Amino acid sequence: MIFKCKNCGGNTIYSPEKKMMVCPFCDGENDYVRKDKETSYGLEVCPECGGTIPVEQFDSSMKCPYCDNYVIFNERVEGDYLPRFVIPFELGKEKCKGLLRDKFKRFTFAPADFLSEARLEAMQGVYVPFWFYDYKTNAVFEGEGTKVRSWVSGSYRYTETSYYAVVRDMDIPFEKLPADASIKMPDSIMDLMEPFDYSKLTDFKPEYLSGFQSEYYNMPAEEIEGRARKKMEDDANAILRGSISGYASVIKNSQSISVMDRKTNYGLMPVWKYIYQYKDKEYPFYVNGETGKIIGNAPLSKGKVWGYSLTLWFLLTVILASFNGILGLL
Amino acid sequence: METYDYKAEERKRFLKYFRVWIILAAIAVIAFGVMKLMHKDDAQGLGGRNNDVAPTQRVYDFAEVLTDAEEERLTELIATCEKKGKCDLVLVTINKEMGISDYDWERNMMNYADDFYDQNAFGYNAPYGDGALLLDNWYHAGQSDSQAGCWLSTSGSLEYAIGASEEKNVFRAFDDGLEISTEEGYARALKKVAQYGMDEGDLGVEQLPWPGILVIPVIVAIIYALVNMKQAPGKDTTTATTYVPGGQPMMRGRKDEFLRKNVTKVKIETSSSSSGRSSHGGGSYGHHVSSGGHSHGGGGHRR
Repeated sequence: MIFKCKNCGGNTIYSPEKKMMVCPFCDGENDYVRKDKETSYGLEVCPECGGTIPVEQFDSSMKCPYCDNYVIFNERVEGDYLPRFVIPFELGKEKCKGLLRDKFKRFTFAPADFLSEARLEAMQGVYVPFWFYDYKTNAVFEGEGTKVRSWVSGSYRYTETSYYAVVRDMDIPFEKLPADASIKMPDSIMDLMEPFDYSKLTDFKPEYLSGFQSEYYNMPAEEIEGRARKKMEDDANAILRGSISGYASVIKNSQSISVMDRKTNYGLMPVWKYIYQYKDKEYPFYVNGETGKIIGNAPLSKGKVWGYSLTLWFLLTVILASFNGILGLL
Repeated sequence: METYDYKAEERKRFLKYFRVWIILAAIAVIAFGVMKLMHKDDAQGLGGRNNDVAPTQRVYDFAEVLTDAEEERLTELIATCEKKGKCDLVLVTINKEMGISDYDWERNMMNYADDFYDQNAFGYNAPYGDGALLLDNWYHAGQSDSQAGCWLSTSGSLEYAIGASEEKNVFRAFDDGLEISTEEGYARALKKVAQYGMDEGDLGVEQLPWPGILVIPVIVAIIYALVNMKQAPGKDTTTATTYVPGGQPMMRGRKDEFLRKNVTKVKIETSSSSSGRSSHGGGSYGHHVSSGGHSHGGGGHRR
């Protein structure tokens, strides 16, 4: 499908700033029609210009390289692939450029054009598929804690050690523990993208995809549940540990975390992706399209680092040598 | 189309980054240059040594414990120290009986040192003026009836600059150096005396060792390079309760039940330690007047 402007026929896209569909050609707002392609056409055929779109296995929306219209593939956002919810982009491209510039402006050792307008313009908004896991868990800890106090009487130091039976039994509900379901996106980076602000979660509408790339889930929820489970168990452990305080030491006798109920949901999360090429290497940056959190390592010019280090060495030597010379004359 | 001069931008950024360091280096070099010029004037007669009466010899090795080369090196060292400390420094070694008891030994050492200083009219600013004489006796050194030890006689400004604690420091430096060689012992002691000579009571500032001047910046530069090459992609900003609605679990059961206790007692040991360097007698004689009628300070250290 393609969203077209009623006024000028241009491709209407979702504006994060205005939180509505806008036409970049005539500035029309929320005045659009949905155009679905003929079912006889193949997925890779642009419904607008008929050009061949380089669609990959999991793409659910992308820009036609010939007519620049954003095409949403109906078959990949409906039925089994219909996202339960989505967080629409809150931050537009210009805002994200500003965030990147702010974060790396003091990074002296990046190549000079790293934050240039031309480079940053290539930044692309992507809806990343996530599985969300709800767990109703029960966590039980049993152990022995000690409290120690000591005092001096006469010429003796007394140490009293008191032993306590420590038990914690709690129900911990986890809601929407996320795990990205995209092969293209590195898991460790997507984990660092968290947390998303779930108050902005909304029901899915294909309009949100217009203007952005997107994928549907690359694997079933069961396949990547291990990641969510581990997060859940780590968090439950931390909550149990945090509930025990005031002891000098605690020895664990037994601990269990059992899942009483489990539910999964599929949703799309907004991420801006900026790939900087430097010396035949790619440096990807990811910006949380909702919160603005930035993940990525800036490219480093090693020659520049050593050049600065040598300068520092030279100046420091001059300063110390002069200082020493002055001391020698005193 | 607008062209962007990256090289010019880089140069600008480089200069901005190091501007404080460059200013500091320039100040240090200029300060050093000015001091050097002033020092040159000083060496040409303004505030230099002012005593033409005393002999130029500074090392008197009557005990013959130094080689000619060692004497030469010590003479050179003394010349440098005298300029810095603005005081005459004299080294006298003897092999002479000075008395068995501490009292006799100290008296005789003191008189010998004071008289030697006075008879030769040492003094940087004037005869009998600012200076110190290190007298070292090697009589039966290392034997049971040893009368070995040294005495420091001070005069003029050094008489006030060097008190009992400074004397101890001089003798400590001497002992430390002696473990390496006799020459090193004298060198360290004389350097210490010269330090105290600077600005009368001002302990002065020792120069940093030159290898340190070269090594410290290398270490700093390497650390700087390593720190700047290391980056973390981002931080985990989730907490254990990020995905728990309300941030609180529901507690079903909580127990902190006292089971038992035990008490241990340990006797507190009172420590009485005895440590430190062994003393070999000697001591400070404070201010006194020599047989020649000149005021001296000083103290001794037997070994």
